[in-house]
Amino acid sequence: MLHTKVEPGEVPVINLSGEIDLDSAETFRWVVGETVKGAREAIIDFAGVTFIDSSGTGLLVRLCLDLRAQGAELRLRNVPPPVADVFATMKVKELIGEQAFVD
Amino acid sequence: MTRAADTSPATLRVLRYDARRRAVTIVVGDRTIAVPRRALARLARDAMQRDSFICHAARSAADVLGDEVCFVPQGGRCEIVAIQTNGWRRHHGDHRRGLVEILSDIAAAVARSSLRFLDDDELAAELERGDEILACSVDDSASLARARSAVAMGLERHGVDPDSRHTMQLCVSEATTNMLMHGGGSGTMQLRLLDDRLRAVVADRGPGLDFLNWVGPPHGPAQASMGYGYKIILDNLEQVLLHTGSEGTTLVLDRTFTTGD
Repeated sequence: MLHTKVEPGEVPVINLSGEIDLDSAETFRWVVGETVKGAREAIIDFAGVTFIDSSGTGLLVRLCLDLRAQGAELRLRNVPPPVADVFATMKVKELIGEQAFVD
Repeated sequence: MTRAADTSPATLRVLRYDARRRAVTIVVGDRTIAVPRRALARLARDAMQRDSFICHAARSAADVLGDEVCFVPQGGRCEIVAIQTNGWRRHHGDHRRGLVEILSDIAAAVARSSLRFLDDDELAAELERGDEILACSVDDSASLARARSAVAMGLERHGVDPDSRHTMQLCVSEATTNMLMHGGGSGTMQLRLLDDRLRAVVADRGPGLDFLNWVGPPHGPAQASMGYGYKIILDNLEQVLLHTGSEGTTLVLDRTFTTGD
């Protein structure tokens, strides 16, 4: 199960915890879409994510690229090692750019 | 994404040349199609003599099999791995993986023995090995998390190290997700313990493996996986066994493990 908590602001922060898979992908997509409305930038904090697979990661990449095409940037932070391993296999940094990862 | 007018999916075919029997058999794909067996046997023997895998780009007698055909020597036999793209092509800017890249991954995995295609007899023998730890059905996306949780708990109960537990969870998740999306929408997952390894068996009664999910246009979250599910599986496991056909697909996922935290 995926839990989300949004901190509103000029640069809103989406705190994720739990698992991102096929089942939670639609929730993930909806929360990101709603949060980014009207913003130029948003941060996704992965600190609480315990699991992600290729369907969750693929969706993340698509969201980053689609939003960038619409003039909004998603930044990713606090990516735990198991999530980073999947990102590395799927070449996420090459696909969305190293600048998308922030401290 | 552009493609030809017909609606056929891109497909994978695997044939096998047995040097002892000097015969070519179809392991994956339509077993009734006519294939140029003598020409394939000659190309397979050539690859075996060179002891390296050779890829052909649809300019030889192997053309009938697909756009890309790889010959992969394996001891006394040669696996022949072919993709028929049926006109599907990746256009510039598409971030999903190209067919050639996928085929190369598959051929390389076959070459290093981390991927083995099974015929019916080989599958039956493999399914007899080891002791069953747990079994569950997977029939909707909510059951993916239940399957992962069952894997984690079952392996922890048997003292399997955390790294191996997480890897098996990830690979089972990839295999069961593929099954839901492309394997008829339901199936079973079984976890077995062999002497030196963990084994997950993911089986469905779907239409058999095809490459439609890797070349079709995106239609939702599952289509965004970019074809990396199999790469994650192949990168993280010692051995993957695959049996696929019109009666369904079975994936056998093996990983060696240690005990303790």
